[in-house]
Amino acid sequence: MPQQVQQFLHALVAAPPLNGYLVVGAFLFAIGAWGALIRRNAVVIFMCVELMINGVNLTLVAFADYLPNAGGLGVSYAVLVIAIAAAEIAVGLAIVLAVFRSRRTVNVDEVTSMRG
Amino acid sequence: MAVSGQAFIALLPELISTGFLIVVLLVGAFGESNAGVAAGLAALGSLAVFVSAAVLLATGFSGSFFGGGYVVDPFALYFKLIVAGSAFFAVLAAARWSGRTGDAPEYLTLILSVVLGASLLVSMRDLFGIFLSIELATIPSYAMVAFDRSRRESAEGGMKYLITGVIASSVLLYGIVLIYGVSGSAQLSDVANTFTGNLTPVALLGLGLMVSGFAFKVSAAPFHFWTPDAYQGAPTSAAAFLSVAPKAATFAVLLRILLEGMPGAAPTWTAVMAFLAIITMFVGNLFALRQRNVRRMLAYSSVAHSGYILAAFAALQGGGAAFAVQAVLIYTAAYAVMNMGAFLVIDLVGEDAKNYNGLVRTNPAAAASMGLFMAALVGIPPLSGFFGKLWIIIAGAQSGSILVYIVVGALVVNTVLSVPYYFGIIRNMILEEPTSETGGSKGNGAVRFSVYVLAILTTFFGLLIIPLSALVKASGLL
Repeated sequence: MPQQVQQFLHALVAAPPLNGYLVVGAFLFAIGAWGALIRRNAVVIFMCVELMINGVNLTLVAFADYLPNAGGLGVSYAVLVIAIAAAEIAVGLAIVLAVFRSRRTVNVDEVTSMRG
Repeated sequence: MAVSGQAFIALLPELISTGFLIVVLLVGAFGESNAGVAAGLAALGSLAVFVSAAVLLATGFSGSFFGGGYVVDPFALYFKLIVAGSAFFAVLAAARWSGRTGDAPEYLTLILSVVLGASLLVSMRDLFGIFLSIELATIPSYAMVAFDRSRRESAEGGMKYLITGVIASSVLLYGIVLIYGVSGSAQLSDVANTFTGNLTPVALLGLGLMVSGFAFKVSAAPFHFWTPDAYQGAPTSAAAFLSVAPKAATFAVLLRILLEGMPGAAPTWTAVMAFLAIITMFVGNLFALRQRNVRRMLAYSSVAHSGYILAAFAALQGGGAAFAVQAVLIYTAAYAVMNMGAFLVIDLVGEDAKNYNGLVRTNPAAAASMGLFMAALVGIPPLSGFFGKLWIIIAGAQSGSILVYIVVGALVVNTVLSVPYYFGIIRNMILEEPTSETGGSKGNGAVRFSVYVLAILTTFFGLLIIPLSALVKASGLL
């Protein structure tokens, strides 16, 4: 491995720049949003939404670590966000189960009795 | 930082709703056939929240608590009154129906937790607190929409509402996190230092994502597509309640974020609001014209009314700003009484437009109430909707901006556009002959009581307007 690459990797591990986290967070969010829009299965859509929320959470934790006077507050927000995501999915899976019981499918484009 | 006794008084409405929420849920845990007890307790709870907020308002209690993250001012208390009042009527309307489902305590608990979330929401001054309270109000509402197991549409509406809702929540959260990142704090007073005339691209992206999230919550076009399915599938009491209380609270907190957190960026966001207002009004009214199902028609009409309230947001600049805040407050109260009433009539008559044929001969009281609500939703004086629109038009006229004049023009055009579908119902009730499909006297005493009280409030809103306008003038926001 060339010396420059090794030095770069060391620098990255020692103090990863804020932008790196933000880019990864934005990517996660974008992948999740893309999946949530194109997938048909409701359970897969929930997985994509989890990806979106985790992308946001990564951004949040990165900001909380880099901001000068945020203290530990940002990280505590991140814990609350995780709890909210869990609550959303709990209610969500219950509703998906209810839909599955009455229609034997959870594909969102097949569940269309109301239109207009 | 210790929690003072003052903070307990400030949290009184929320503590009361939490207490009743737990008690109602326990009633369900300790008895199978306690629907009446649960409904009584839930109605008592929402009345207690209403009274506690009214007492705080009357005694002039105000202040900032928990490190400035929670504020009690007349503005917040005003919206707590609207939320608790609409919850009271929702509980009355749901009492008999939820008893038949066998899960009355659970359903009533959901209503009370929406009350808790919405009344926390209007007091929040911290972006993450705002997100938490929005979710506290929204997650139970998904369950409320999907609660009716006897109709297939209910779970379907719930699923559509839920999937779009959780996506919108994560978009809203991303916006909030970006705003937190660029301003270094989630407190609205610190955000105001960053959001000045010149916005960085990240700040602009954060603002855009946050406004999109809020636009979804208030069902503004182009984020409205969940509204008709959710309200058509939902139990009537849920549709009536969710189209009023969480929406009013979301408008309130959006007003607070924009005015307290981003006054410097007003030219940017008033332009966004003007754009949203115009397309929301047109989309709501044009789609409502095509509906034969009254419930779906009212869902689109609630989209249009969100557009009218957003028109007041567009006027939040220049000389009309203070008046535009009052317009939002007046309109929300006016909308709450007339829209809840119109939805509850569906419980008495039915959701198909045919059910209203000749209703004036078979059930004159319900027909008169529905006629009043429809006329109020159009904005016929002296009913409640007229005063809301009047306030928005005056605020727009005072703003002195061409863009706001265009928005007000669109509001007037849309008022005319909305006449056919509201008056179509009135026409059906008076001119058509009653058929076998005409709604007789369904529903029960509690629903009828709610409808008549709301009809009286809608009719005599003009008498309340003088104390109400004095109240909103002293709202403490601008």
